[in-house]
Amino acid sequence: MKNLKKYFKIWLLMSKNSFLAVFNQRMALSIFLIGKILRFFFFFVFIIFLLKGTKSLAGYNLNQTLLFFFTFNLVDTISQFLFREVYRFRPLIVSGGFDLVLSKPVNALFRSLMGGADVIDLITIIPLTIATFYIASLLNPSILHTTFYILLVLNGLVIASAFHIFVLGLGIVTLEIDHTIMIYRDLFNLGRFPIDIYKEPLRGIITFLIPIGVMVSFPAKAIMGLMTPMGILWSIVFGILTLFLSLKFWNFALKKYTSASS
Amino acid sequence: MKKYLQIFKLSFQQEFAYRLNFVMWRVRNILQIILLFFLWSSVFKDPQTEVFGYNQEKILTYVFGILILRAIVFSARAVDVAGEISNGDITNFLLKPVNYFKYWATRDIASKILNLGFSVFEITILFLILKPNLFLQTNLLTLFAVLISLTMAVILFFCLLFITNMSAFWMPENGWAAQFLFIAIITDFLSGGVFPLDILPLAFQKVLYSTPFPYLLFFPLQVYLGKIAGLEIIRGLATAFTWVFILFMTVKFIWAKGLRRYSAEGR
Repeated sequence: MKNLKKYFKIWLLMSKNSFLAVFNQRMALSIFLIGKILRFFFFFVFIIFLLKGTKSLAGYNLNQTLLFFFTFNLVDTISQFLFREVYRFRPLIVSGGFDLVLSKPVNALFRSLMGGADVIDLITIIPLTIATFYIASLLNPSILHTTFYILLVLNGLVIASAFHIFVLGLGIVTLEIDHTIMIYRDLFNLGRFPIDIYKEPLRGIITFLIPIGVMVSFPAKAIMGLMTPMGILWSIVFGILTLFLSLKFWNFALKKYTSASS
Repeated sequence: MKKYLQIFKLSFQQEFAYRLNFVMWRVRNILQIILLFFLWSSVFKDPQTEVFGYNQEKILTYVFGILILRAIVFSARAVDVAGEISNGDITNFLLKPVNYFKYWATRDIASKILNLGFSVFEITILFLILKPNLFLQTNLLTLFAVLISLTMAVILFFCLLFITNMSAFWMPENGWAAQFLFIAIITDFLSGGVFPLDILPLAFQKVLYSTPFPYLLFFPLQVYLGKIAGLEIIRGLATAFTWVFILFMTVKFIWAKGLRRYSAEGR
């Protein structure tokens, strides 16, 4: 408990520093914020007009399709907010600056993963959460299904953490981060719509191998009552297992760190 | 002419120097197309379905067409102009007997040719895997109109990209942010790169048609698909040409203003 408190304090401190650095460049902050909102708005408008014309997408009506889209954005935005520091990891490894992270009395993974929360995403999280719950409420879910939804969104965030940890580990081993993270982002974008639109074997791949379906489609399905309790349990076990494996990989990668150019 | 030929050769080789960058950029393009392909395949599961004036064959041709047109229109090296302005590297070019616009246009052409080659290869692979029904335009006159509209699209994008990059003269720290907003978001969506613009209400389409964006991807594809014909093609081409003229003059104007403001920071 004491340790948790300490790390929360450190996280607050690191986030404050990160926010101050971004606020220093107000113009860039505004442009990126506008860009993010515009992209969201364009996709939102697209779904509205698409479903107006087609009435359904892979068997889902407008509100259901919107819930898939909002859930995708929620998981994406929260993980971007928390794990932005991963995007800045490569220079640390290439320059050997990671030595300084390792020598500090703070967990190196914690520092590398959560050391620079993104204020742009923080600004959008609250309205996005409210809008997601509003869209979800239009489907009249039961309390149990809503609980499943929250549980699976949290599970999606656990898997997102595992992905980012895996990317960090890969960064140490191969010195490659930027492309891996962008490929992850592009694959994750496949979850913008219900995964039911994809045919096999792609659907299987993005459900089990790269579990985008588990991260974003399963929560939306759970609130619609389309997930069995066994499916939900399996998803959570899968999430925990993914996190466990990513931590193992991080420990393996750490032993490969050569402190080059330091 | 000889020096631009050399620039072309060097630029072509340079693209191969950063192979991983290039391959990843292509992979990202393919992933985008896969998303669109499956999305529209799901909507047009029944081949008889007709929505927004598209049938299965035409919408899938639109998706595959986007991959080719993105390679022709959106592949450009001039994205680096903002960086050159902000770190002062542009000074080197101002002192050399090279036309800066021609230099970047040449580098853009090299990039387009390389990307086009790869996109044709990718389309062949995707075609063999996904086996979609595609629409083949056989009318030579229409194909000629597509060619003209594509040429204008390339010039339009070059001008839009340059205008966006030249914002670095006034805000050197934020040239890349401007590019994210105007090129990656606004231009991509409003050109029809993410979805066909004719799913939008008619009034909105009319407004869009008076901007340069639809003439980058949407208009050439509509001409190819035969959804625009006769006088409408001529009217569209005339509007695109007007935009080419306006943006070209804007580029010249901003360049002159920007150079006066430029202080060779970082040099």
